[in-house]
Amino acid sequence: MQTPDDEQFEAYLKRFHPIAPEPIPILSVGHSSRRSPPLGIWLAAVATILVLGAVILHIRSSRIVVSNTARDAAVAERHAPSEPLTMRTANAWLATAPSFKAAVDDLAFRSQPSPLPQGKQSAVAMLSKEKIRL
Amino acid sequence: MGRTERNIAEIEALYRQHGAALLLFASAISGDRGRAQDAVHQVFLKAIENGSVSQAINKKAYLFACVRNAVLNEAKLQDRNMSLDVNSAWFSPPGPDYAGEQNLRRALGKLPDDQREVMILHVWGELTFSEIADLLGVSSNTAASRYRYGLAKLRGSMLAKENSCADSR
Repeated sequence: MQTPDDEQFEAYLKRFHPIAPEPIPILSVGHSSRRSPPLGIWLAAVATILVLGAVILHIRSSRIVVSNTARDAAVAERHAPSEPLTMRTANAWLATAPSFKAAVDDLAFRSQPSPLPQGKQSAVAMLSKEKIRL
Repeated sequence: MGRTERNIAEIEALYRQHGAALLLFASAISGDRGRAQDAVHQVFLKAIENGSVSQAINKKAYLFACVRNAVLNEAKLQDRNMSLDVNSAWFSPPGPDYAGEQNLRRALGKLPDDQREVMILHVWGELTFSEIADLLGVSSNTAASRYRYGLAKLRGSMLAKENSCADSR
C-alpha cells in the first residue's frame, strides 16, 4: 500500500519528462510527400494565379477608362455652355469643366451649335485658321 | 483518407503520445540510448508495415511489449550483456534542475532490472499493475511489490545523494 510520502515522491518523479525520441525517418518523409504537392504543381499554380491576376487587372483598367470617358462626357453635356461658343465662353467653360478631356469632348462633339450673333466669331473657326506645327 | 493513411496517422499519433516513455523504457532495459532508439523505430516501422497496432485492444501496453521484445531479441542476437549507460540524459528536468535529472538517472541505474522496468512502466509509461503484469508475465501482486521496493530504493538513493551533495557544500 502506498503512503502519502510515496505519492508525493511519485508526483516529484513525474515532473521529470522523458526526452522525446527522434522522428521516424519514414514518417517524416511520408508526412511531407503526403501533405505538400510536388514543386511542378506549385509552380503551375503560381503561374496560373499570375496570369489570372494580369487578365483581371487588364479588364478592370480598360473598364475604368471606358466608364470615365462616359462619365466625363455626361458631365460635360450637363455643364455645356448654352450660348454660342466664343473664346471667352470656351475659356470660361474650360475653367469650370470637371476635366480638360471632358471640356474638349464637349467642345468637339456639340451637336447643335447655336448661331453666332452679329460681330462675334466662333472659337472653333478661329482655331481652325491657326497653322499648328507638329 | 485510405486505410494505409489512416494507419500511418494513427501510428504518428501513438508515436507522439508514447514515444518518449517508450524510448525511456527501451533505454532502461537495453542500457544504450542509440540501441533503444533503433528498437523503438523498428517497432513503429513494423507497425506501419503490418498494421498490427490497430488490431490491439490496449495499444499502449502492446507497444511497450513490442519494444521490450525488440530490445531483448536484439540483445540475444548480439549475445551481449546489457550494462546500463547512464551518462546520456534520459529526462528533461523541471526547470533548470539538471543535477536532479542526473541524480534520478543514476538512482534508476542502481535499481535491479526488474524493479527499474516496473518503475518506468508505472511512473512514466502510466501502465497499471495489471497491464505491467500481463506485459512481464508476472502476477499483479509481484508487479506492485517490485514497484514498492523500487520506489523505496529510488527515494533512499536520491536522498542520500542529495544529502552528500549538501554536506560537501
